Amino acid sequence: MTLVSLAIVLIAMVGHVAGELVLKKAMDASNASGFRSRKFVVPFSAGILLMTVQFFLGLGLLQRYDLSFIYPFQGLSVILITIAAAVLLREKLTLQLAVGSALISAGIVLVSIS
Amino acid sequence: MQNRPSGFANPWLHLGLSIAFVTIYELLLKLGAVETAHLSARWSWTGLTGLASPYVWVAIVFVILSLITWLHVLRHIPLSIAFPISQVVHALVPLGSWLILGESITSVRGFGIALVLLGLAVVAKPVARFEERL
Repeated sequence: MTLVSLAIVLIAMVGHVAGELVLKKAMDASNASGFRSRKFVVPFSAGILLMTVQFFLGLGLLQRYDLSFIYPFQGLSVILITIAAAVLLREKLTLQLAVGSALISAGIVLVSIS
Repeated sequence: MQNRPSGFANPWLHLGLSIAFVTIYELLLKLGAVETAHLSARWSWTGLTGLASPYVWVAIVFVILSLITWLHVLRHIPLSIAFPISQVVHALVPLGSWLILGESITSVRGFGIALVLLGLAVVAKPVARFEERL
C-alpha cells in the first residue's frame, strides 16, 4: 500500500463520518423546521456531497484492494460515529451502546483480517 | 422525540430495508469493481471507471434507496443507536459473499461475524429503553 492509498482511505473514512453527522443534523432540523429551512438544506447538501465523494473513493479502493483491506477502516468508523454522535450531537451514550459498538468494531476487524 | 410513525413509516422497518439495500449494493459493487479493475490506471483512483460496469449502475440505484430509507431512520432514531445496528451488514455481506460470490468463510471470519451479532445484541438493550421513552 502506498502513502497515497492510505490518504485516500483516511479521507474516505473522515468523509463518511462527517457525512453521517451532518445528515443526522439535517434530518433533526427537518423535524423542527421542515424541508425548506436553511438549517435543513445546508447540512443536507453537504452530507450528500460528502457521501458521494466517499462512495467513489471507496469504489476506487475496491478496484485495487480486497474488501479485507478496506473493512477495518469501516470498523473504526463505527466507534468514531458513535463517539461523535455523543460529543457533537449530544446524544446519550450508555455503557451498553459503547460496549456494543466496540464489539461490532472488533467483529468487523476480525471479519476483514481473516 | 416526536411521535413515532407506524405502518410503512415505522423507522425500524426502514432501518431493516436500508440494511438489506446496503447488503445488495455491496455485493453488486464488488462484482462491478472486479469487472472494471483492468481499466485505465490513470483514473481508477477516483473510482469513476467503475461506471463502465452495469453492476455499478444497478448498485447506485440501491445506494440511493438505502440512503432514502436511512434518512427516514435518522429523522426518528439517534445516530448512536441506528448506526451500530446498521453495521449488521458486516455480518450479512460476508454471508452473502459466501452464498452468492462463492467466497470462503474461515473460522476467524465466522468468529468476527459472531462478535458483530453479539455487539448488536448488547446494543439492543439501550434500544429497548429508547423505545420505552417514546
